[in-house]
This record gives sequence, C-alpha cells and structure tokens, in this order.
Amino acid sequence: MSENVFQPKIVAFLCNWCSYAGADLAGTSRTQYPPNVRIIRVPCSGRVDPLFALKAFQDGADGVMVLGCHPGDCHYQQGNYFAQRRYALMHRLLEFTGVESERLFVDWISASEGKKFAQVVTDFTERVRALGPVPIKRQTPALQEVSA
Amino acid sequence: MNQDKPRIGVYVCMCGSNIAGTVDVPAVVEASKKLKNVVLVRYNKYTCAGPGQTGIKEDIKAHNLNRVVISACSPRMHERTWRTMLAEAGMNPYLLEVANLREQCSWAHPAGDMTTQKAIDLVAAAVERVSWHNPLFPRRVPVTKSALIVGAGIAGIQAALDIAKAGVPVYLVEREPSIGGHMAQLDKTFPTLDCSACILSPKMVDVGSHPNITLLSYSEIEKVEGFIGNFTVTVRRKARFVDETVCTSCDDCTAVCPVQVPAEFDLGLAERKAIYRPFAQAVPSAFRIDKRGPAPCKNTCPAGIHVQGYVALIGEGRFKEAYDLICEQMPFPGVCGRVCHHPCEAACRRGDKDQPVAIEFLKRFAADWVTAHPEATAPPPATAKPVERPLQGHRVAVVGAGPAGLTVARDVAQMGADCDVYESLPVAGGMMAVGIPRYRLPADALQREIETIISTPGVNLLLNTPVQLEGESKSGPSLASLQRDCNAVFIGVGAHQGMHMGVPGEDLKGVLHGAEYLRQLNLAQLGVKGLKTPNVGSHVVVIGGGNVAIDSAMTAKRLGADKVTVLYRRTRAEMPANDWEIEEAEEEAIEFHFLASPIEFRGKKGKLAAIHAQRMELGEPDESGRRRPVPIEGDTFELDADTVIVAIGQRLGQSLGEVEQSRRSWIETDPVTLQTSRPGVFAGGDAVSGPASVVEAGGAAHRAVESIRRYLLGEELAEGRSAEPADISDIDYYDPESWALTARQEMPRREVEARCGFNEVSLGFTEEQAIAEARRCLSCGICSECLACSNVCGAGAINHDAQDELIDIDVGAIIVASGFDPWDPTPMLEYGYGVYPEVYTGLEIERLSNASGPTSGEIVMRSGEKPKRVAILHCIGSRDEHYQPYCSRICCMYSLKLAHLIEEKTHAEVFNFYMDMRSFGKGYEEFYERVQREGVVFVRGRAAQVSPDGDRLIVRAEDTDLGRPVNLPVDMVILATAAVPSKGSAELAQKLHVTRDATGFFLEAHPKLRPVDSNTDGIFVAGACQAPRDIPDTVAHAGAAASQALGLLSQEFVEVVPTVAEVRTLHCVGCGLCVEVCPFSAPSLVESRGRMVAEINEALCKGCGLCVAGCRGKAISLRGFNDTQILTQLEALLQLSPATCA
Repeated sequence: MSENVFQPKIVAFLCNWCSYAGADLAGTSRTQYPPNVRIIRVPCSGRVDPLFALKAFQDGADGVMVLGCHPGDCHYQQGNYFAQRRYALMHRLLEFTGVESERLFVDWISASEGKKFAQVVTDFTERVRALGPVPIKRQTPALQEVSA
Repeated sequence: MNQDKPRIGVYVCMCGSNIAGTVDVPAVVEASKKLKNVVLVRYNKYTCAGPGQTGIKEDIKAHNLNRVVISACSPRMHERTWRTMLAEAGMNPYLLEVANLREQCSWAHPAGDMTTQKAIDLVAAAVERVSWHNPLFPRRVPVTKSALIVGAGIAGIQAALDIAKAGVPVYLVEREPSIGGHMAQLDKTFPTLDCSACILSPKMVDVGSHPNITLLSYSEIEKVEGFIGNFTVTVRRKARFVDETVCTSCDDCTAVCPVQVPAEFDLGLAERKAIYRPFAQAVPSAFRIDKRGPAPCKNTCPAGIHVQGYVALIGEGRFKEAYDLICEQMPFPGVCGRVCHHPCEAACRRGDKDQPVAIEFLKRFAADWVTAHPEATAPPPATAKPVERPLQGHRVAVVGAGPAGLTVARDVAQMGADCDVYESLPVAGGMMAVGIPRYRLPADALQREIETIISTPGVNLLLNTPVQLEGESKSGPSLASLQRDCNAVFIGVGAHQGMHMGVPGEDLKGVLHGAEYLRQLNLAQLGVKGLKTPNVGSHVVVIGGGNVAIDSAMTAKRLGADKVTVLYRRTRAEMPANDWEIEEAEEEAIEFHFLASPIEFRGKKGKLAAIHAQRMELGEPDESGRRRPVPIEGDTFELDADTVIVAIGQRLGQSLGEVEQSRRSWIETDPVTLQTSRPGVFAGGDAVSGPASVVEAGGAAHRAVESIRRYLLGEELAEGRSAEPADISDIDYYDPESWALTARQEMPRREVEARCGFNEVSLGFTEEQAIAEARRCLSCGICSECLACSNVCGAGAINHDAQDELIDIDVGAIIVASGFDPWDPTPMLEYGYGVYPEVYTGLEIERLSNASGPTSGEIVMRSGEKPKRVAILHCIGSRDEHYQPYCSRICCMYSLKLAHLIEEKTHAEVFNFYMDMRSFGKGYEEFYERVQREGVVFVRGRAAQVSPDGDRLIVRAEDTDLGRPVNLPVDMVILATAAVPSKGSAELAQKLHVTRDATGFFLEAHPKLRPVDSNTDGIFVAGACQAPRDIPDTVAHAGAAASQALGLLSQEFVEVVPTVAEVRTLHCVGCGLCVEVCPFSAPSLVESRGRMVAEINEALCKGCGLCVAGCRGKAISLRGFNDTQILTQLEALLQLSPATCA
C-alpha cells in the first residue's frame, strides 16, 4: 500500500467460541484481509463493556468491531443478545459524542465463517478508511489502575 | 496487583517459515526488547516442540521469570501445551499470554512492514496484558462416570458398545422408535457386498441387551446443562403408547389397525399401519403407535366420541366394531346419527380441501347396519382386561330419563353402581322421545337404543314417577328423599316448558306452545293412552326461529295445514335453527316471514283469528353477537291465522328449592364438575345449559359420571380437569401427500312428494356409500383411537393415554452421533424427482433391492416390470455451488454397488454418469474395476436433464471424454443424492452449545488433530454428523470418539477453568442487575454488614463476563479478563501503552 493512503487503526473484540475461531479459520485457510485490524479475545461478546469501545476511540482507534456468535448459538446462551442491545444504544451515544456511528460495527461470525470474517473485516476497513481518522483529539493515556 | 515486579520472558516463534516467512521476526524481537518489564526475548524455530519448551523451562529458572509471553500460533492451538510447560517449570500456568502471530497475522496478511508492525503490536499488547495477570487456581470437580450418546445409527451403536465394554454406563438416545439409523435401510454394503442387516443386527441386539447400556429409543434431547465431566441432560421420552417392557412383539395389533400411511422406513414405497414397528429386526422390538394427537373431530365432539376411529373402521368395512366404538361414548348412535348438529364436521380438516366427511351420516349408518344384521351383533370378544366395577355397592339416583340421564345411568351401572332412573312421563327418552318429530327420528330407532340402556344390569327405570325437586313429598320421591336413600343424585330433567310471549290473546283457543305441542303430538304417536294428536287449523303461523319452530312448522304441514308460515323477528341469517333444517322446511313449502313479531293475538269468539304484528329492523348486535331486532315505530300489520304455535324457547319451569338456579331458572353447577350447590347432587343437560343437543347432553353426562365416580370414591372432584376441550392448535396433524378431490356422498332422501305422514325423510347410506365416504377421512391424528389394538393386545401393553416424560440424566461426557440424511433432490427440477415416477433416489433403490423391502428384493419399476436400461446420475446436489459445494464421499461407491446389484438382479444395461470417480478406500478401486468388467457403462459428464419420452425417460448429458452430447433413453433413473446433516442438527447444536461448520455438519475442534472433539469440552462428535463418511470410516470415527470420552471418564477429577467472576464487596451497591443478566444463576444477593451485596457462586459461573459488563458500579471483575487487562491490552495495541516507552 502506498504511503499516502490513510491506514485506519481498527480494534476488534472477538468472542472466544465463534468469532475468534472464525478469525483463526480465515488464517488457516490463508484468506487475506487488511492487517489494520488488531484483535482482542474476550470470552463472550457480552463481556465487551461499551466503555471499551469508547476508550478505543479515545485512544485513537478509527473503528471498533464487536463480533459474537450467531443468535441462538451463544456458548453462554444469551451473551450475544445483551451485546446486540448494548450496541444498539451505543450507536446513538457515539453520534452524540461526534463519532460517526458507522465506526462501531457489530456482527455475528461463527467458527466456520472464516471467509465471512475476512470479508467483514475488509469491508469495514474500507469503510473506515473512507471516513478518515476518528474526529477525537487523542488523549494522554492516563489509565488509572482499576484493579485492586 | 501482583506482589512481585513482573519479570517477563518473550518468545517469538518462527513456526518454521509459517510466521518467519511473512513477519520479520528479528524486528519483532528487537522491538520487544524495549518493552517494559521484559527481561528476556528469544526466538525459536518451533516453540511447541520439545527443544523449544525445554529452553523456556530453563530460562524461567535461570532468569527468575515470573511471566511468559509466547508469540506463536493461535492460543486455541497450544495454550494448553504451554500452560502445562509453565506448571512443569514450577510457575502458575495462568501467568502466560499467547500472542496470535500465525492464524491472525502471518497467515492472513502479506509479507511487509504493516504485517510486522501488527506482530509487534500484538506482542506489546500481550506483554502489557500479562503484567496484570494473577496466579489462578482451577477448581477440581469430580467426573460423573457415565456417557450419553445422541443418535443410534452405526456410529452411536459402535461408540455405545465401546464405552459399555470398558465398564462405563452409557445412555443411548435415539429419536426414532428403533436404533439402526440409515445403515438398517441399506441392502448390501460396498465393496464387500456384505448384507447390511446381517452385520448391523448383531450389534443392535448387543446394544439392546448390554447391561451397561440404557437404550432410550423414541426420545429426544430437550436441554443440556453443566460442563465437562458434569452434564445434566434432560431427555424427552416421547409417548410410544406401547410399553416397551411389556410388548411381546407378537404383531397381533397391526392386523386390526384400520389406518394405513406411507412407511417412512421404506421411504413411502410401502405402507404401514398406525401401530407399527419400522422393520422386523428393530431394537427395541416393541411396537409404537403413531399418534399426532386427538383428531379435530374427536376433540370438538362434546361427547368425545372416537370419531376418526369409527370412521376408519367403517372404511375397512368393520361396521360392528365401529358401532361398538361409538357406543363407548354415545349410547344413542342411531339417534345422534340422525339429529346431531355435528360440530365435528365443521372441524373436519377434509373441509379445508373439498368437503368435510359426512361423519353424522356414517354414525347413523353404523347403527342402522347393526340393526339390520342381528347375526353380527354378538357381544364383542371378551378381552384379557378384567372389567373394573369400582362403584359396586353404591346407589345413584337419576332424575329424568333424557339423553343425559340415561347416559349417566348406563355409565354408572357399567361401573357397578345400582341406578334408579325416575321419569315423570310415561315414556323414556326425554326430548328425543317427545321433542323430535318422528319423520326425523323414527320411534323404533330410538326405542332400540333406550332398551339397550335399560337392559344394562343395575339400571332400574321408573316411568310415570315424578320427583319433587323442592321440599318433601308425601306421595312420591323427592330430591331430599333421594339424597337420603342414594349415594349420589344426578338431575337431568331437561327444559320442557315452552316460553310464553306475554302478549294479549295468548290464552285464546288456537294458540299453542311449541314444546307442549310437540310433546302432545309425540306422546299420541307413541300410543300413550288418553292423548290425541293436537288439532291444527288450515293456516298455521309459527313464531320463532329455532329448531323447535321449524319442527313445529313441518309437523303442522304433515298434520294437514294448508299454509304454514314461520314468523321470525330477525332475518334468516340470524336464525338459530340448523341450516339444513331450514332448507328442508323450504323444500316442503313452508313460508318465512322475517323481521316481524306479534304484539297481539286477535280472536273471534274466544278463538284465534289473526295476529297483529310489529315490523322490525336490525339494530346493534346484542350479547349473542346477533343484531338486535328493533321495532319500526308505527309499522304494524295483521296476519290471518287459525293456529299459532309459539316456539320462542323453553325453560326448566321448576324450582329446586335449596339448589341454586340462575335468573332464567337453569340449574347452577360448577362448570368443571357439574356439581350443584348441594354436594353429591350433580346436574347436566338442557336443565343446566338451556336447550341444546343430544351430543351435548352426552358430554355433560360423561362429565357428571366422572364427578360421581370421584365423589363416591372420595377423590378430589376437579383435580386435573378442565371445562375446555384440549388445545390442539400446536398439533402437527397428518397431511397425506396423495389424496384425490372427492365429493361427499349425498344422503339419499325421500322425495318431497312422498313425505306424507311421519315417514323418515333421510334414508341412510348404502354400504358402498359408507365405505367410500369413510375413506375420504384424512386420518388427521394418524392413530384413529379406534382402540382395536388395545382390544387384541393380550399382553396389555397398549396405553392410549400415555404422555411424554422428561427425565434428567447426569453424565460426564456426551457423544453426538446424529448422522446424516440423504438430500431431497426435489428442488433440482431438471431431474424430475417427484414428477416422473421412475426417477428414484439411491436410498429408495436400497429399499427395493432389500429382501425385506416393499418388493421383497426385486428391483422393479412401479409397473412391476424389471427395467431394461437404468441410468445412475452421480453428484446430485453434491459438488454444486447452488446446493452442497462439498463431495458427499459415499455416492460414487454406493452408485457402483447399486450398478452391480441392478446388473445382477435385472440384467439391465446400467449407465453411470459421473464427474470424477472417487474410489479411495481399501478395496474400493478393485470394486470399481470389477463393476467395469461386469459391463456397466461409465459416461464421464454430469447429467443435465431427465425428460419424459413416452413410457421411457431420456437422460441428456455431455460425454466429456468424447466431447459429444448424449441422449440416452432409459426405463429408470437413480439419483445419487448428497449427504446432508440430519434434520434437527441446528436445534441439537444449540441445545449442546457446540458449533457447526458452514455446511451444517458438526465442527471438530481441529480438522486434523482433534477430529472427534467439539469446541465444547466434554462433548465429542462421531460419524456422519461431522462430515459425510462411509461405514468403515464411521465405525473408526465412533471408536475414536468413544476412546476420547473414556479418556475423560477415566479421570477422577477435571479442572474447571478459574476465569470466573468475582465481586469486590466494597464497591457493590446491591442493585441486583448481575442476578438478572446471568443465564446460569451464579450471582445472588446476600447480606453483608447490614446491606445486600452480590456474591458469585463459582461452581455455577461459566466466566462469560455478562455481569461484569453490566455492573453499574464496576464491582464485578472477571479473572483473566478484567477491565485493566483488556484496557491496557487495548492501549498497547494502539501504541499508547507505557510499556512501549520504557
């Protein structure tokens, strides 16, 4: 990729059971997608606190993905439903803060959908690239120690 | 935070060239050296291998490392390996972090700076994250030493036997009535041509008899809870209606079952009965009744007559049995078959297709047939079941010998009670005798049925014996005296008093009232002394719109009236009379005058001369939903009449003293038990409901009899009962695939001109008509509940009232062996499956070729002739991006086998149209060569189309070897269809929380190294549910799954992941949101220092983190995935972490 193309930073929260395995499958099948995405493994999409997405934007992420199991397939029965509801609200909060809601993307990827994972990441990367850098002034990372 | 300052060792794996080929590993190493707390960075060629591991273990000791980051393949691959390694080096195994540099970096991206930068970021994030790791200690829980297997095809059978052989108890759950799966349907097996049943049956028998195997056939998984080593599986044991432990497999039941439906086991090529066993070698060998639920007709029938049952029996020409079956619920088949308002026919599903089955007329036919064939009316054969007489020694009084009272009398007498029936009139039968005119219900038809009832031992009929319902009587019995003398009383006195209009002139001579008029007429016709047929004049006006009004009008005509007019205050649409009765009245030239109501009867010399009537119009609907008639002010008229019959309704017309009655005088009862306000006194029929029908009286009688039985035996009256019929909205009724549009049989009726006098109008079906009509029944419930099987079952194994049962089973391991289904090729219209009769699927030919199949092993066309030329089309629905993209693996070989069998049995020319021949297994290629030598023709090219050509079919294809089109006329086409996951796999996967692949087959944990593990620990996959595979591979795969399960079950304890939620009590505000969101009920609110706070039950917590994300006060954190760990990892990934600037 040439120097002058905007390279967005994208953080993806992937549930351990479906989407993370789907991302592994994409790699195992050598399906290519842009290296802009950085994956964080979580036990369940329901573990992803909306705060994480806000913090990611604050820290300079240009796009955030939350990927979980398909409805009905959650390893923990209902976690993805909670994720879905939380992020429906998050989209509106983002608009309020001045971040385009398209920068937060929620979808379902099963462990067998390596191709879909690659496709979803590629499409999202291109959409965020088109949006340009996140319109938030980068904050100094002063994360306080929150655990005991 | 941890006590010690982190000392982190970072290991970057090259994975041969898998990582190093794309990622600049030395650059990653150099970048990692600059990270905070990193003591040591090394790179290995293979970190998972022995030397790699040994090096790390040595480093841990030599450099006093207390954290390790391994940057290699996915943690899903080797995290366990390295955790074990850390433990071996004396470290807590959870102080490890794996950065996924291979699957999610080097393999997914091209070589270059960006990929290397991503790798550097991933390592930095792992280093940051691992700094915040704490030592974790997994919980050890004991393992339940038993296994459950879902599906009992050859895979499930093999796995069950292997585990049972090791001494471990197995629960084998199969949804079909027999085990065996698809292998039981096959004829021969490739390439050895062993008979499938011969090699499978011994294994099936072993399963059935093995002491360690609990076979749960005809059962399905309802729910799965728990975790590795400790699952609780809820299994639904579907009602089989035949007790497996009692059934002797004698097969007597199928001979008497009147219902035939296509046999699933033979793919619809043969029929089976509603009670059946899928195949002769079935295990368990017990039969099963295919019962979808009560048919709508039976469920709608107020008396609960086994409608579908007697219709099915009539269809088989078994009229006496049909009659006996009707009599179980309805002692008046001949009456009910003539006068019923048949709500069953409105519910009949045949009515959705063309016209409902003529159920009422069939019932009448059965009764008439039995009357006409006294030689056939021997009592039914004595059954093995002893007749229960639980009410012996009790005495029941019945007041009123109408349909309700007589039914109660018969039923309680059959249960052993003595029953006195008191009737005030000189005849029995109630309204059946004195209300219904004789041209509708001849006296002999009624009398026969009454006599059958009163000849029941224990029934004692007392005619001309009125019972005084209020107070005491000096002359005869009273309700009070009956209650003293008997154990229970039933009041069924009906509604015999005609209502009066209350208009001037109602006492004039010539003004009659419907109920009294019909009673006098009927009693006179029945020959009661001193009663004359009522006189009617030449111009009769009947007031009212119900059945009594119509009957009054039609009888008046028969008694000689010249002109009969029915005056009704609403319109025809609102008339409560049955439509067919109104039509009959119209046929007989009865006139109707709508929207008018009398306001005065005007007379001359005390005798009626005219009716002064008010014209009406329709207003707003009333509570019955019908539009209310409203007088049109000032619009009146006069109508000449010398006789008026007022038929505007009836009432009870008696006071019952202490027994509560409604405002309109009906007896008040509990709707469920029919008990009146006086305990031990029950009531039913018209006296409770208001004027209704014979069948409704019968229904009330059944309800009252059950209450009387419970009352006399001291049981709770209402328990388990409801006033409403069963809810049938969810029942999946049977819909036959083939049925022909057939009109309902017409009831032969007397010509209008011939309807003089009181001869019966309807003449009844002929035998041919009855059978033809009965065969229009769709068999909605499949089992018709004719109870013929119960009657012949010597072992008493049949229970038609059986219910599904839910049982909980605790197991340590689960094996999924749910198998495959052959794909239904109907969507591929080009091959005409389901359109051209001579297009078959491979499995259908297996059944034809099977000696126990529908043709006893003959491979013949539907005409019965052997085919002369057969085409076998490969890859139907397989290797086709529009259907299944994958190769189904078994089709080439079974096509070769079928080619061989067809050639051998029919000497037909056999052509195989194939894309590539895949004969990969041991002996397979040799078999292919053998079949070629036998003369089978192989055309390389997928067939494009099958089209008809006279009696034959043309297969069009391209021979790609010769580059020429082929148009081949054949007699028979066989489609080698794809193998797809068995029906219900998606639901099963959701219940088990295991994943499936893109094609719907169950997903293995690793395609090569963990082929029988699912992604959920403790759940294994076996056989064709994981991918299409042939029998040898399935058996091997199942054995592997069994051995994996045994490996787990041989452990005393399993370790449960310690990454669970914990509460910091000081931060908790006790809001309880965590309790609400948790699917596993792990959190609960407990009291701590005077306030409520959350507490996590670690044994229940699965570590999903739902409560953590939901916690408002951030009081809950998830070990291993706490907010700090995730947020610092996030910062590092975005290159903001302090770690990067150390």
